[in-house]
Amino acid sequence: MEQKFRRRVEALDEIFEFIGGFAREHNIDESVSFALNLVVEELFTNFVKHHPENPNEILIRLVRDGSRLIVNLIDYDAQPFDPTLAGEVNVQESLPNRKVGGLGIHLVKKMVDELHYEYVHGESRITVIKNLEK
Amino acid sequence: MLKIDLGPNGEILLSGRFDASRVDYARGIFNTITSSSVVDFQNLEYISSAGLGVLLATQKRLAETGQSLKLINMNKHIRDVFQYAGFDTVFQID
Repeated sequence: MEQKFRRRVEALDEIFEFIGGFAREHNIDESVSFALNLVVEELFTNFVKHHPENPNEILIRLVRDGSRLIVNLIDYDAQPFDPTLAGEVNVQESLPNRKVGGLGIHLVKKMVDELHYEYVHGESRITVIKNLEK
Repeated sequence: MLKIDLGPNGEILLSGRFDASRVDYARGIFNTITSSSVVDFQNLEYISSAGLGVLLATQKRLAETGQSLKLINMNKHIRDVFQYAGFDTVFQID
């Protein structure tokens, strides 16, 4: 199941609806569905923030492969942006030293089993894998 | 879609989804909080890092005057997100 979405955070409602339809079709439970929403939002908004001027829509593809969920996000004619290189966040930092922001990719890494990135022919491609049974 | 209301005892009631598309709306309201407050998550279904950022910025600002936010009635999924972010140590969560 795949769909392209306009490059605006306002597209999130449509994206959540798209994910909800996929979850219902594939009997994805509430906990995994929550994680799927969060992971896709964080990765999608990163694409939006890093290349706001890019006129192209962003493709989101969701696939259930047995006990694995595979999520692809593809940004076309994009500059490279590799989320796997995001620095570690010190979540034990005290309140005064805590920085606002920068938690998105940290949360993604916490909620999925694999996060991959490739840049091919001007396309930024993120692949996320989440195992449904452990 | 996120909605923020004021409860009968002055608590802040969140409902819907606290995502990146509602950050400006939320920031506008949280920026008006100047004293310790309770934030009720009873009807909040979802939160992402964008929502966490609004709450953290408010907590940091309030802490400068010895005030804080107390967060109550979180669902399990949202509580997990707070834990992953290490926010369970910078907020009182009941």
